[in-house]
Amino acid sequence: MSNATKTPATGTALLEVKDLVVHFPIGKGQFIRPVDRVSFSIGPGEVLSLVGESGSGKSTIGKALVRMIEPADGSILVGGRDVTHIRGREIKEYRKEAQMVFQDPFGSLNPTRSIEQHLAFPVRKYRTNKDVSVSEQIDELLTKVGLTPVAETRRKFPHELSGGQRQRVAIARALAVNPKFIVADEPISMLDVSIRAGVLKLMNDLRNDLNLAFLYITHDLASARYIGNRIMVLYGGKVMETAPSAELIKAPTHPYTRLLLTATPGTRHRGPLPETSNSAPNLLEGRKGCPFANRCPLVSEVCRNEEPPLREMSNGHAVACHHPA
Amino acid sequence: MADNKPVLEIEDLSVAYVTGSGLVHAVNDVNLKVYPNEIVGLIGESGSGKSTMAYTIMRLLKGDAVVTKGRVKILGQDVYQLSKKELRQFRWSKMAMVFQSAMSALNPVMTVETQILDALLSHRKDMTKEQARTRARELMELVRIDPKHLKSYPHELSGGMRQRVVIAIAIALNPALVIMDEPTTALDVVVQRSILDEIRKIQQEVGFAILFVSHDFSLVAELASRVAIMYAGRIIEVTPSDLLHLQEKHHPYTEGLLKAIPELTAEDVTIQGIGGYPPDLQDLPSGCAFHPRCPYATDICRRVRPEKLAVGDKLIECHLFNEKELVSHV
Repeated sequence: MSNATKTPATGTALLEVKDLVVHFPIGKGQFIRPVDRVSFSIGPGEVLSLVGESGSGKSTIGKALVRMIEPADGSILVGGRDVTHIRGREIKEYRKEAQMVFQDPFGSLNPTRSIEQHLAFPVRKYRTNKDVSVSEQIDELLTKVGLTPVAETRRKFPHELSGGQRQRVAIARALAVNPKFIVADEPISMLDVSIRAGVLKLMNDLRNDLNLAFLYITHDLASARYIGNRIMVLYGGKVMETAPSAELIKAPTHPYTRLLLTATPGTRHRGPLPETSNSAPNLLEGRKGCPFANRCPLVSEVCRNEEPPLREMSNGHAVACHHPA
Repeated sequence: MADNKPVLEIEDLSVAYVTGSGLVHAVNDVNLKVYPNEIVGLIGESGSGKSTMAYTIMRLLKGDAVVTKGRVKILGQDVYQLSKKELRQFRWSKMAMVFQSAMSALNPVMTVETQILDALLSHRKDMTKEQARTRARELMELVRIDPKHLKSYPHELSGGMRQRVVIAIAIALNPALVIMDEPTTALDVVVQRSILDEIRKIQQEVGFAILFVSHDFSLVAELASRVAIMYAGRIIEVTPSDLLHLQEKHHPYTEGLLKAIPELTAEDVTIQGIGGYPPDLQDLPSGCAFHPRCPYATDICRRVRPEKLAVGDKLIECHLFNEKELVSHV
C-alpha cells in the first residue's frame, strides 16, 4: 500500500518516508496516533504541500522529519541514510540537511538578540564554507531573503521588524546551514495578506535557485496549490488523497478533499456542506475503519470496519477511500 | 436601502492612543454607514485600525485611547453622549459584539446557560428566570447546538461550538447591530464555513445588521454586500462586494490585495505581493499613506493627501480617480 504514492523516480528521492508512525501516551497504557503509517517521498527542488485541519497530524509529521520527535515506527531516509532513530551528535549533524521554519515569527526569534546574532550563531556553528567570513555569509543570507539594506537589518532587533520581515529572518536562519530541505510549518498563516505573497514567492525562488526541497504545511488549499508540486491531504493522521497539485484541485476524489474545497472561501459555494457532522477524528491506537467515516456523506458499513488502503487511481494520484468519486 | 435610516453612522471619526511619544492616530477621519439588515465588511491588515474602530463603536476603548474627533451614532443615538448607566443598557440590547477568541470571551468556570442567562437577565428586568431559560434554549437551537450543552462548560465544547455560543449571546437581546471581530480566524476552514453559513442564515431569519471585521478578503467578499477597506487608519475604499475583482478599477491598495491572493481554481496561478511593509502609525508617510508602496504613485501622492470621493455606494481616497464617475486615470 505504501508503494502507491512513490514518485516514479524513487532512486532520486531526497527524502523517503515509509509507514511513519508517531504516537503519544495518554495514560492507562493507551496511546493516540496523530500520524498513522504515512508514506511519501520528496525529490530535490520539490515542494510537497501537506494539507489538513488541526489535529490531522500535519505538524507532527514535520517535527518528526526534522527529528524533533522520534517516530514510533516506520522509517525516514534522507539521501539514502536512515535518520529515523538517530540521536545526540547525529541529530546535530542531521540539522545541516533538514531545517524548520515555524508558524509564529513573533515566538521563534529571541527578543534580546539582534538579527545579526540570530544568524551568526548557526553560521559559526555549521560553517559550510571557510573561505567566506561569517560576516559575509550573514550579508549573503540577508540578501537572499530580500532583507536589504543588509547593514541596517543586521543591527535591528525582532521587535523592530514586521511579521513578514521576521519570517524572512527565520528563513535566512534556516538557510544558514545550507540545508537540503526545509519543513515550513504554516509560515504565512500569521502574516498580513499583502505580505504573504512575498514570502511564498521567496520560497518559490529558493526552490528554483538552490534546488531546495520543502515540506509546506498548511490548512490553506490555495497556497498549497500555488507552491506545491504535489498536495497530500491528511485527516486523523492518515493520508486521504495525494496528487499533483492542479489535479487534486481539479479532480478531487476523496469526500474529505471535496469538503475542504467546498469550504474554502472564494469558491462561492452555497448550501449545506458535504458532511454529516463536524466531530473530531478518533486518534486512539487500534481504531477501526476510515477516520473520516463519522463525517462522510458516502459512509457505508465497510467504512466503519475496514480502513481503506491508499490506492493509486492514475499516475501519481492516490486515494484512500472505499467510495472514491 | 437609501431611504432607510442607518443603524450605524460613523462621522469624521478619529481615535488616537496616548503614548510616551505623543498621540498615535489609529483611526483617522473615518465615515461609514451601515443600514438595517446589511452586512458590511471591514477589511484591513494588522495595525490598519479596524479593531480599534470596532472597539470605538462599542465604546469599549481602554484608558489610553481617546476619540479625538467625530461621532458614532447607533439608531440615531450618539454612543458617546450616553451616561454610564444608559450605556450599560444600550450596549448588548442595541449593539453587541462577537470577539475573535471564543475561548477568552467565555467564562471558563460558568456553564453556557449561566452566561446566556446573565446577558438576558441583566438587561431585561421584566424577564423571569423561566422565560430566560426558554430563550436560552431557543438561542441554542438558532445556532444549531443541542440545548443539552446549556449545562456544559466552555472547555467541554469544540472551538466551533464555543464561537456559536458567543454568537448566541451576542444576538440574545435582538440587537440592531452586531460587530464581529474576526469571529472565525482561529477556526479550521470547514468549521469556519459552517459558522459563516449559520451567521448568514440567522441574520436573514432574525434581522440585524453586521459589521464584519476581518483581514480575509475572499471570506468577506462572500459574506458582505459592501466592503470597506482600511489602510493606516483611513477607509481608503468602500465598494459593493460583487465588484471586488480585478476587472473593476480599485484603489491601488485594494488592487494589490486582490493580486496577492492565489486563486484556488484558476488555470494558471500567479500572485503578486504588495512591495514594502505596512507603515508605522507613529511616523506616517506624507501625502497618501500608501504612496511608498503604490506602483502608480506620482508627485502629488507624495505631497498631498487625497480627498474622499463618494459616488453612489462607492467611496475612494486616491489621486488617480476622478471626481465625476470614480473612473481611474490609469
